[in-house]
Amino acid sequence: MEGVALLKIIVFIKQVPDTSSKAGVNPDGTINRAQARRMLNPFDRYAIQKAIEIKRSVGAEVTCVTMGPPPAVEVLIETFEHGADYGILLTDKRLAASDTLATAYALHKVVHYLGDSDIILTGLQTTDGDTAQVGPQIAERLGLPQITYCEQLSITGRTLRARRVVEGGHQEVEVNLPVLITVANSATPLDYKRFADVAAVKEFMRHPEERDKRIKNVSLDTIGADPSRTGLVGSPTVVGKTWKLGEIGGSCVIFKGESIEREVEELIERLHTNGKGIEEFINA
Amino acid sequence: MPKTNNVVIVAEQLQGDLQQITLELIGAARFLSEKLGTGVSCFLLGHEITPLAERLIHYGADEVIVIDDPQLREYATLTYRRAVIGILENLGTPPPIVLMGSTTIGRDLAPRIASYLETGLTADCTELDIGDYEHIGKADPAKTGTFKNILYAIRPSFGESLKARILGPWKNPQMATARIGVMQAIPINTSRKGAVHKLSVHFKQEDFRLRVLKTVRDVSATVNLTGAKVIVSGGFGLGGPEGFEAVKDLASAFKNSAVGASRRAVDSGWIGYAHQVGQTGKTVRPDIYIALGISGAIQHRVGMANSKVIIAVNKDADAPIFKFAHYGIVGDLYQVVPLLKKALIKITNKDMISHRIKGTVLFK
Repeated sequence: MEGVALLKIIVFIKQVPDTSSKAGVNPDGTINRAQARRMLNPFDRYAIQKAIEIKRSVGAEVTCVTMGPPPAVEVLIETFEHGADYGILLTDKRLAASDTLATAYALHKVVHYLGDSDIILTGLQTTDGDTAQVGPQIAERLGLPQITYCEQLSITGRTLRARRVVEGGHQEVEVNLPVLITVANSATPLDYKRFADVAAVKEFMRHPEERDKRIKNVSLDTIGADPSRTGLVGSPTVVGKTWKLGEIGGSCVIFKGESIEREVEELIERLHTNGKGIEEFINA
Repeated sequence: MPKTNNVVIVAEQLQGDLQQITLELIGAARFLSEKLGTGVSCFLLGHEITPLAERLIHYGADEVIVIDDPQLREYATLTYRRAVIGILENLGTPPPIVLMGSTTIGRDLAPRIASYLETGLTADCTELDIGDYEHIGKADPAKTGTFKNILYAIRPSFGESLKARILGPWKNPQMATARIGVMQAIPINTSRKGAVHKLSVHFKQEDFRLRVLKTVRDVSATVNLTGAKVIVSGGFGLGGPEGFEAVKDLASAFKNSAVGASRRAVDSGWIGYAHQVGQTGKTVRPDIYIALGISGAIQHRVGMANSKVIIAVNKDADAPIFKFAHYGIVGDLYQVVPLLKKALIKITNKDMISHRIKGTVLFK
């Protein structure tokens, strides 16, 4: 690898509430964020995996960036175990309630702050916001081409080839670096290995001077972002009203016969005589 | 001249085929435009696609703005971005609302346009409406005001079991993407008339940085979940990938059927992502939805709860799916499925007999 500049990769990741855990999840399904368990957004694992694959195949320096309150540093530490090199935590009270446009504004400032990058990776979407918008919005601010829903990629020199999902098929695309990529969850089956020595990661995290070489906390001031373009003030959208989805229905007819055979027969009788009749849907 | 106060939708066509989402969006846009007292405009981009303009009008558009250019033959982010921005800037005054589909194209393009225009964008809406809003901002006093006839972009927040109304009244266009299979298309009317405006686009060199080498329509990989009348879906309760053989077998008993899956089954690698129903998969509303070994977590429910008849088979009597299914059998799906299939076949045989009797033709 001598004489060849390492590719610089930035991976944007997010810490989200773990809704599969019972902690912090109210009976109606709503979240108590203060009590909920936290986890790395599951979609981000695909992006981290892609970054580490590139690092292992052609060589790269991988910096993961997250925006959130101080505990979000946990997801950066997790990426070290998978082989990431550096972590940036953007934390600032003035970022609270940022919508996707304001979030992308702040994150693109982090890219400027870090200097040139060759590849920016993000997960397809998050499990809490669920928008899939922030990646393309960062690309727009940076004036970069983008490949969303990326399933596979390969790099030769400065040329990146990728396969992206489209409805009812796929596209093969080619681009010269730099580029922003959002990684599809239909990408190669997840092989989210811990390449680094987990004990060594734990060890350096115990030494502040070592830790500070790998993780940096930044604020809006550090990255030169305009606070009037972030948070509630800088967001063009607002949540006007929310309703609980709650439980619906509750009128399920459960067949309880003396045998499974009888239950199936009762079900079919019900479907046969009710409304349109199931016979219209069956192959003759 | 194109109208500037219409509700705009960006049409989607793949190799000359109008996509179902576009017809659904026109339906939604008609509903919104009637409340606003305006009309519906479609942006139609591609190459040799001008004949589609008339079809868009038949499906409810009042006017279609077409850019027909060889560089737009295949969808690519930057060329389509340039074309949409070009049309919007040509209008002069921003339209009140711009809608796109929550498809791989809409989710790729809409955030670029919204970011370029520095305007709000709400993803994956399941309802759209028009209404008023009063903003009392303690943290953002400059935004305080009462706003009339703005877009209500309504979407579920799946992780939190909430439905939220998102508003962006401060700037036009108010943008949103809508999920496939949620909005209702209006019936085609071939006598409907409308205006067609042709525009051209001036690309820049930088728009061609990404090259589309080929677009492959993989029919075998296509799962027609959104068009199927009957969906048989399998979940983690199948126990393994071989469980989908039972799912497919039951699906094969129905006409126009498709195989669905829960996210956990897909994440476990038992079946392809194209089969996934729910939050991160497809939204479906078939006439019959049969859930086999699916617990019915909120992530799955939001993708299929509008099915006309939901039948659940699960070992666990406390599974949430029994809270919203119409019919349920608590038991081993591997026992239930063969019996169910046998019973279905029996119905068709019986039906054939009764038809013969009705038709007074008796074969012996």
